[in-house]
Amino acid sequence: MDLLKSIVAAASGLRVQSGRMKVISENLANADSTADKPGADPYRRKVPTFRGQLDRELGVKTVELGRVRTDTAPFRTRIDPGHPAADVNGEVKMPNVNSLIETMDMREAQRSYEANLNVISSARRMITRTIEILRA
Amino acid sequence: MAIGGLPLFDALKARMSWHHARQKVLAENVSNADTPGFRPLDVKPPARAQSGLQMARTDSVHMTIGGANPNDPTKAQRRFETTPSGNGVNLEDEMLKVAQNNQDYQLAASLYQKSMGLMKIAIGRGR
Repeated sequence: MDLLKSIVAAASGLRVQSGRMKVISENLANADSTADKPGADPYRRKVPTFRGQLDRELGVKTVELGRVRTDTAPFRTRIDPGHPAADVNGEVKMPNVNSLIETMDMREAQRSYEANLNVISSARRMITRTIEILRA
Repeated sequence: MAIGGLPLFDALKARMSWHHARQKVLAENVSNADTPGFRPLDVKPPARAQSGLQMARTDSVHMTIGGANPNDPTKAQRRFETTPSGNGVNLEDEMLKVAQNNQDYQLAASLYQKSMGLMKIAIGRGR
């Protein structure tokens, strides 16, 4: 039944968006995670990737989370000579996480999640309506 | 005569399965709203079945039944946008289509139910 397939597709969207939220919250939580000794790298921002997938059993184009890659942008630096990870110039490498970008990504994930929820409730209404024909 | 053989029921059945198929395609579009290189798809509406009854035009200014349909879902396809990753899904458009699909399905289901009521009246069990 196509309506159940549409719920399968939308549910894969929900799964992917919540996985994306997980990566975003990891980034935000580690926005200040520096290294513990000089020269070592601090936390590197993670980027989720999406991959289209064909569910051969049902014939539905679902989506799934691909490998989580790392952001190659350079690290920020901060002058803090007393920090244990400070180099000879007194600079500490900070993670390349920009909380504004993460917030924007989070909004986008939220919006896509809501859109998928909308599709599910719409399909459910259609199924309910079909069953109501029997009751008449 | 089986109910399946009546043109009205057949048309409504075709319409309802079209809405089912469209809902599936729209759900695929929405779930792939962030997949790079994904192009959204849509389903062509079913062709109008030729019924035995024809509308008569008694005046030249009357509109024909095959006139322009403002709700034609195949129209308004030209304003899609594509993100730098090659994804062409516009969530607002898809939501609009899902809502419209749902509404039209409700309409078809109501009509089906009403027609069943007519059949019940015909066999003397209506009301």
